[in-house]
Amino acid sequence: MTNSSLEKTIDKILDQTEQDILSNLDGALSDSHQILDNSVTKLEDEYDKIVADGRKEADKLEKQIVGSSDIEARNKQLLALEDAVDRVFTQALEQISNSDRNGDYANLIKSLLDESTKVLGTSEVIVFTNSKDRDVVQSTLGNFAGSELSSETIDCIGGVKIQSKDGAMKFDNTIDAKIDRLKPLIRKEIASKFGVKE
Amino acid sequence: MTAQGRIVWVSGPAVRADGMADAKMYETVTVGNSKLVGEVIRLTGDVAFIQVYESTSGLKPGEPVIGTGNPLSVLLGPGIIGQLYDGIQRPLKELSKASGSFIGRGITTTPVDMVKTYHFVPTASNGDEVLPGNVIGTVQETDLIEHSIMVPPNHPGGKISNLVSEGDYNLETELATVEKDGQNVPLKMYHKWPVRKPRPYNTRYDATVPLLTGQRVIDTFFPIAKGGTGSIPGAFGTGKTVTLHQIAKWANSQVVVYIGCGERGNEMTEVLVEFPHLKDPRSGKPLMDRTVLVANTSNMPVAAREASIYTGVTIAEYYRDMGKDVVLVADSTSRWAEALREMSGRLEEMPAEEGYPSYLASRLAEFYERAGRVRAAGSPDRDGSVTLIGAVSPSGGDFTEPVTTHTMRFIKTFWALDAKLAYSRHYPSINWMNSYSGYLGDIAKWWGENISEDWFGIRNEAYGILQREDTLKEIVKLLGPDALPDEEKLILEIARMVKIGLLQQNSFDDVDTYCSPEKQFKLLKLVVDFYKQGQQSLKEGTPLASIRELPVVTSLLKARMDIKDDEMPKLDQLDKDMKEQFKNISGVKVTN
Amino acid sequence: MTTEGGVQYSKIAEIKGPLVVVDDVDNAAFDELVEVETNEGERRLGKVLEVGNGKAIVQVFEGTTGLSISGTNAKFVGKVMEMPVSKEVLGRVFDGLGRPKDGLPDPIADQFIDINGEPMNPEQREYPKDFIQTGVSVIDGLITLVRGQKLPIFSGSGMSHNLLAAQIARQASVVGTNDDFAVVFAAIGVQYSEAEYFRKSLEESGALKRSVLFLNTADDPAIERIITPRVALTVAEYLAFELGMHVLVILTDMTNYAEALREISAAREEVPGRKGYPGYLYTDLSTLYERAGKLNGKKGSVTQVPILSMPSDDITHPIPDLTGYITEGQVVVGRDLFRQGVYPPINILMSLSRLMKDGIGEGSTRDDHAEVANQVYDAYSRAQEVRALAGIVGKAGLTEIDLKYMDVGDVFEKEFLSQATDENRTIEETLAILWKIVSKLPKNEITKIKDKHVEKYYQGE
Repeated sequence: MTNSSLEKTIDKILDQTEQDILSNLDGALSDSHQILDNSVTKLEDEYDKIVADGRKEADKLEKQIVGSSDIEARNKQLLALEDAVDRVFTQALEQISNSDRNGDYANLIKSLLDESTKVLGTSEVIVFTNSKDRDVVQSTLGNFAGSELSSETIDCIGGVKIQSKDGAMKFDNTIDAKIDRLKPLIRKEIASKFGVKE
Repeated sequence: MTAQGRIVWVSGPAVRADGMADAKMYETVTVGNSKLVGEVIRLTGDVAFIQVYESTSGLKPGEPVIGTGNPLSVLLGPGIIGQLYDGIQRPLKELSKASGSFIGRGITTTPVDMVKTYHFVPTASNGDEVLPGNVIGTVQETDLIEHSIMVPPNHPGGKISNLVSEGDYNLETELATVEKDGQNVPLKMYHKWPVRKPRPYNTRYDATVPLLTGQRVIDTFFPIAKGGTGSIPGAFGTGKTVTLHQIAKWANSQVVVYIGCGERGNEMTEVLVEFPHLKDPRSGKPLMDRTVLVANTSNMPVAAREASIYTGVTIAEYYRDMGKDVVLVADSTSRWAEALREMSGRLEEMPAEEGYPSYLASRLAEFYERAGRVRAAGSPDRDGSVTLIGAVSPSGGDFTEPVTTHTMRFIKTFWALDAKLAYSRHYPSINWMNSYSGYLGDIAKWWGENISEDWFGIRNEAYGILQREDTLKEIVKLLGPDALPDEEKLILEIARMVKIGLLQQNSFDDVDTYCSPEKQFKLLKLVVDFYKQGQQSLKEGTPLASIRELPVVTSLLKARMDIKDDEMPKLDQLDKDMKEQFKNISGVKVTN
Repeated sequence: MTTEGGVQYSKIAEIKGPLVVVDDVDNAAFDELVEVETNEGERRLGKVLEVGNGKAIVQVFEGTTGLSISGTNAKFVGKVMEMPVSKEVLGRVFDGLGRPKDGLPDPIADQFIDINGEPMNPEQREYPKDFIQTGVSVIDGLITLVRGQKLPIFSGSGMSHNLLAAQIARQASVVGTNDDFAVVFAAIGVQYSEAEYFRKSLEESGALKRSVLFLNTADDPAIERIITPRVALTVAEYLAFELGMHVLVILTDMTNYAEALREISAAREEVPGRKGYPGYLYTDLSTLYERAGKLNGKKGSVTQVPILSMPSDDITHPIPDLTGYITEGQVVVGRDLFRQGVYPPINILMSLSRLMKDGIGEGSTRDDHAEVANQVYDAYSRAQEVRALAGIVGKAGLTEIDLKYMDVGDVFEKEFLSQATDENRTIEETLAILWKIVSKLPKNEITKIKDKHVEKYYQGE
């Protein structure tokens, strides 16, 4: 083999190698571009995801805050209303307790006693009342054979509480108890007067 | 003299009243100020024990109890068909007029519209001597039901006079007078009958005609006969109700009585919504025109559950007496048994198994004994039947519990529902190994005469394959499918075809929901023929895989959905395709 | 809550378990509400279980601890127990007897309603068929819930049923018209933390203002649990049928309810049924579950999702058993899947929605829904068989087609069943996954789907 042919061969090989290297370089370049591109999309995806998650969280928070503040406002309203209702009740009770024990009141006591003895099914009862109503009650008891007024007084605005003589049955017909029973119905009335809709 | 007493004790549906010395056993009474309906179920001295058919909430000792003098009865006459009743024959539609969306208490109504007129056509004449059960005329109740007006079974009979001429009359019209021994008794379109007393008939026949339901696993494998008894037990979710609905929809009877006893409210609603839109496959008329519903849903008062069963069966017997085939479906008899148990507990009776009363078995026997194919009493000759089908809801799906075991003693067809099949979505989940029919031999003749004389043989061959598969499955479980020779693997393959292509049936598919007897037979024959040809092919050396992969297999499996009842030639084509394809694969073999 | 007067009786004959027997009672009605007053003046509520011959048997909701024969009074109130209702109950928290637990006053009642309710007339029911999109694939795709349905979750101790129920409550509320949707939540003897989880979950989704909570936690009186679901359902019925709202009721845990019932039955010395539960357990449960539904001519609906824990995961135990006979299907939580960490761990083969067939299809979901769901059920069932077989003969002993079914099982559990607790899938997404599963199978294995749908949606080769 001559030198020149050797050189040619070397050149050829070199040339080949160079081309290989170049194409490899090219490949690497485009690969790295590709990788870069990919990682950018990936990064963008990640970024989007973080943003989306954040937005989700924000949405959740917003809903929660809006929902909670709605409720809070409503609850404050409920409390205010209850306050007003309570005031009305207190005033009403005060009025009743301060009212005159006149003829009308005696009638009321009689009807309360009527009702109570009917419920218990006997007039053989002991009657309890407060100190203010004792006289009115005492004068009405004549209509109820076998009934007697207890020496004990009870704490109430007015009305009576009765008990069978053996103590087995009791019926509370004080004005306090009556109002208590009517309270849920009266509250609705009062509330509607305050302009609260259903 | 009717009893007038006072409540002394209340606990749930049970009430005791004193001052009831004049009350009779099983007399209906009104209870309390709100006039609830109750029935006397025990008398001790002057104390009556009453089961109340309405909620007793708020009832107090001291309130009155008043006897009616009559046992619990139903009103029988035109206007019953198409109704939805509660357990004591109050129309629920009328109740809603009185109390809205929810059921109120103490409401009285008439079971049918008493002033609606029907066109009466007399078939008897003045001067005729009539006996109880005789038909004196007919009215058209619905498009599907010609309603015979009969002399009531408890009527003395006698000589007819004052018979009205053909025309429109309402239920209260006196259609005729019947005179006997100087006594004149009027006849109207309706009469009353006590629910606990079976209606009399002339003679009883053997049950030899199949009740066709359009359900392959029933008609082909475990048939029931007209006038027969059947039971369908199953754990929840196994498809009891769907199967019962299917029977109510497609059974070839003239009247269907559907009792929802202690079950879901929506199921009754479903029937109410669906039936008017479904057409009877034979007459093309709406199914509601032949259906009566009795509903005492689970949340309605428990005592009326017991009554609902009797109310239903008495209505069924009434239409039977007109010469009609009636199917009664009761869903579920377990809830009825539980009602018995609850009342028994309140009566403080000595309990038998699982707290059920000792008379549970005899009550079940009495009920199923009211089934039968009969020659009705009176003339002209009428043959009718009552087929009784009861669902059982065994607790925990355990078939050894008292209601299931006692029921099995009194019924002849047993469709055992299987939770495992249901879990794998094999519907109807009727287990082919545990179910049986005592009518198979009796009704084979009908199939032989009407469909094909090969029916019985082919049916048994198909069933044989299922039995073989059952044993082979055990081996596969232990050793895997490769342990079997091809001949046996073929059986597994065919069994799969029987299961998917025949036993399974989709009630919600327009085509598959109902399968005519002809189609049932052809499908069956195709599968059995496939088996025979497959066996032959194997013998000739064709590999099993080639048989398995024949295109006809998928077509066969889908034929139940793809081929309509009026497309029978398509099934014949399938048969041809099958032969052709088998020929092809054995052809391949020969050239090798 | 009492508006009528009532006589107080003080002759107590016997106190046993949750029962007080009062003597010399001549004016009491069955089912009547009773106020029991202790020596110290504490008032407890109860009701009459049996009355007659001068005796009344009273069941005390808050228990009899601390009651004595002398000094205890029983006041017969003259009416059955009622719940005050109005629109303002929304956003409120009540105790197990329906009394405010949030420091706010009693609701101002629009109506007082008997908590026992009345049975709906079946003739007046409207058949439920409106699809509820819960966003949970396994529910929407295979165990579809419809408005007015009662669909319980059968679970076992410690499993993720509450996560699922809360997810359903949150996600079902955001679809469609917002305003007419409400959640009624009743905690029946569950731990405080579970109840609190629900409250938080509703709060975070902003649904709290459209929710009503009734809380009887594990440390509250057991007998009160008899009342809790009843007051909850009374409010639900009011919201649905008076105010026209679509109400989702979650009752958890019904096992605690049944146990309270058993306690009373035992105290009354009744003949027990299975496992000591009373013979009327079925009837009693039905008076709760049957309060779900829709009514003709009324806009709203009551949908119930009761949750119950199956003792020892046993589905044949009387509580799940009797429940299953009443409800319109069941969603069964599977221990195996739960152990594998799958959420939601639903065993679809044991689960079922009876009303699904009417809630899906053309016009509500899609016309292929029923068929593709059937095929997936079938395929998953086959996959389970193949898995069992593979356990015996090994994977090598399986045929080509068997392996495809194995694949179906895996894809089903990983891609369809599994879902994040805040992942809300549309029905289209759910159906797409179902088709993806079906497309793993060769065409000749598809026996439950009509050809036209296979042509349209099948993506396999």
